[in-house]
Amino acid sequence: MSPEATDFLYPFIENEETDAVSLLTDLAASAEGKWRQSTELRNATLAALDGDIRAAGTAMAERVLAGGQVFTMGNGGSATDAEAFARLCTRPPAGIPVAARSLVVDQAVLTALSNDVSFEVVFSRQLIAFARENDVVVGFSTSGNSDNLMMAYAEARKRRLLTVGMAGYDGGRMGASPDVAHCLTVRSDSVHRIQESQSAVAHALWDAMQTELRQKGAAA
Amino acid sequence: MTTTSPISPLARSADPAIGDLASDLARASLALARRFYAGGTLWCASPTWPFHSHHVAVEFVHPVIMGKRALPAVTVPPDEDLLATLRTTARTGDIILAVAPADDAAVAAVMRRGDAWGVETVWIGTGPRPPAGAAKHVLWLGTDDPLEASEQFVRVYHLLWELAHVCFEHRGLLKPDVCLDDVCITCSDEGRPAEVLAVLGDEALVRTAEGRESVDTSIIDPPSPGDLLLVHAGTAIRNLDDVAAPGEQR
Repeated sequence: MSPEATDFLYPFIENEETDAVSLLTDLAASAEGKWRQSTELRNATLAALDGDIRAAGTAMAERVLAGGQVFTMGNGGSATDAEAFARLCTRPPAGIPVAARSLVVDQAVLTALSNDVSFEVVFSRQLIAFARENDVVVGFSTSGNSDNLMMAYAEARKRRLLTVGMAGYDGGRMGASPDVAHCLTVRSDSVHRIQESQSAVAHALWDAMQTELRQKGAAA
Repeated sequence: MTTTSPISPLARSADPAIGDLASDLARASLALARRFYAGGTLWCASPTWPFHSHHVAVEFVHPVIMGKRALPAVTVPPDEDLLATLRTTARTGDIILAVAPADDAAVAAVMRRGDAWGVETVWIGTGPRPPAGAAKHVLWLGTDDPLEASEQFVRVYHLLWELAHVCFEHRGLLKPDVCLDDVCITCSDEGRPAEVLAVLGDEALVRTAEGRESVDTSIIDPPSPGDLLLVHAGTAIRNLDDVAAPGEQR
């Protein structure tokens, strides 16, 4: 092993430690504690956002019934959440499939826009190209501050799209912006715990949309 | 609000138990940290849910906590032949992690080659459990609901990252000469698993955790490339694919 391979390790006090049992016990206890925290945050978040989730899901269903489709966006782990939500819409385990697409998946488009203009425009420029009346934009961010999301929301509002966002911490810029009509904020300061609850919120949002689609579809 | 029923898209438990998963996660995290410490790469695959493998890889490459070291983690593109890709790219000392149901034949085929390839295997999933020994580390969820499972997968790999970084603070346990297994294949006189690369008469060129070697196959039926053999003292003593489960991808 080269010496560089160990550079990332911290200054050690336990260099001679050879008994893994106590570490494994500590790790398992830590996992249990974090698991419980994640459950508690999820339950508190779903309860606090219940009305907001229903309102956003209902508004999304109205757009979808009027012929709109759903665009999703996010960066890093949130990009994968955006992809997951788009797939849930198009290929649901039950319920009505809804047209949806992640704006993160096309490498040619992402690199073209980033290289030729800037990374801030990667989502807004795609909305200019793709968005039509009645479409919906759902963005995922843990900070609520991503520049490329904020630019996309401004563009979306200008084009009268429905704007929905998942944020964390105190909501950040997404929570304060009039460009985000429905901001669903997971109030935590742990990025991991925020993402875990956002996953549950996204599923609840999808369910609220499905409920409305069923009711309106049955009435129509 | 027009309805009073709670939003419940899922058969979502108000308090899902972590159960044995906590200690399974602890062992997997330490194994992961040891492999990274020795220079290994983490290969992530999720043919059914590609966004999960991308999420795992980005956690390790670009940690959310400032100051944590970027670690080599790579997503295997979902449109690639998983077995063919990993057979070529995964090297001794690496880790293969999959988020997949137990009936994913491609994932099963990769996981059962872990010992022959010299890689650590981690299988995260839900629904019916894969058979015992299907992977070195099986991190399985108790829920049958696909959406609740998806939420819990995110927890599982977040915890894997968090606990692995705790392990980096315990350098003494990361040293390669500390043997944590109950039965260590390299220390014992057991047969070692090997994957056939090519067959030449009564000999086969095979891959084992120690590298490529030539073994005598005269006491077993002629094997085929891709078969898993048990090798002892330079001789193939059993073809493990002769007893493979029906329908399993070879």
